[in-house]
Amino acid sequence: MNEFSQALSATASAMKAQSQRIRHITENIANADTPGYRRKITTFDMALSAPGESNGVRLGPTILDQSELAQIYDPAHPMADEAGYFTGSNVNLVIELADAREAQRSYEANLKMFDQTRQMARGLMELLRK
Amino acid sequence: MLGNLDIVKMASALAEHAANRQVLISRNVANADTPGYRAVDLGAFDPDETSGNRLQLQQSRAFHLPSRSAVPQLSPVAQDGVESSPNGNSVSIEAEMVRAVEIKRQHDLALSIYSSTMGILRSSLGRGR
Repeated sequence: MNEFSQALSATASAMKAQSQRIRHITENIANADTPGYRRKITTFDMALSAPGESNGVRLGPTILDQSELAQIYDPAHPMADEAGYFTGSNVNLVIELADAREAQRSYEANLKMFDQTRQMARGLMELLRK
Repeated sequence: MLGNLDIVKMASALAEHAANRQVLISRNVANADTPGYRAVDLGAFDPDETSGNRLQLQQSRAFHLPSRSAVPQLSPVAQDGVESSPNGNSVSIEAEMVRAVEIKRQHDLALSIYSSTMGILRSSLGRGR
């Protein structure tokens, strides 16, 4: 049964990490029009239980995308400079949506593994019933 | 009746093998987006190693060559056809799902064999199922 709890904890850590990733993506999309906003990038790291042996996943430090901020031409904008430009965010909605979809797929795969592990453990327990 | 115990032993070894693989596949799926993670898997289940096969090498003296260990070693998944992504991750969710289904079937098989053997033993004791 110890194997099953290890499997469950690995899957649970991954689901937690993926939902954190979704949260960062949501923040990015929400701030797509915020001037000067840099998009957050979620990094993953192996959670090591023993040397060289990974048990699940944990989040690495969140990093801010250092790519150039968009220069948007709008002379009527309150933050526009003399030339009529202001700095927008470097959020690209297409990238964020693709990232969100990938996170969703990974989450679903982990959910499936969680369910299967539970079914296997239950099958083992059923043996005791007879 | 004692002859039946071998089948129980093998069924529980298969269930254990499936459970151990389940941990590894769960880790693979969990690390599907981790940079640099290499997918791992156990070798295929080998019934000879668990059934107390009499034809295997026996170590009657200390300096004999040891036979293969009973526990299958951790081995990286064969990389044929699986290319890793640019960040060095070699997990393919599809391949892991196929393995997961295979594990589930093996585990179900082992548990069915176990419970039906127990049913036979119970019948022979006259208690019915």
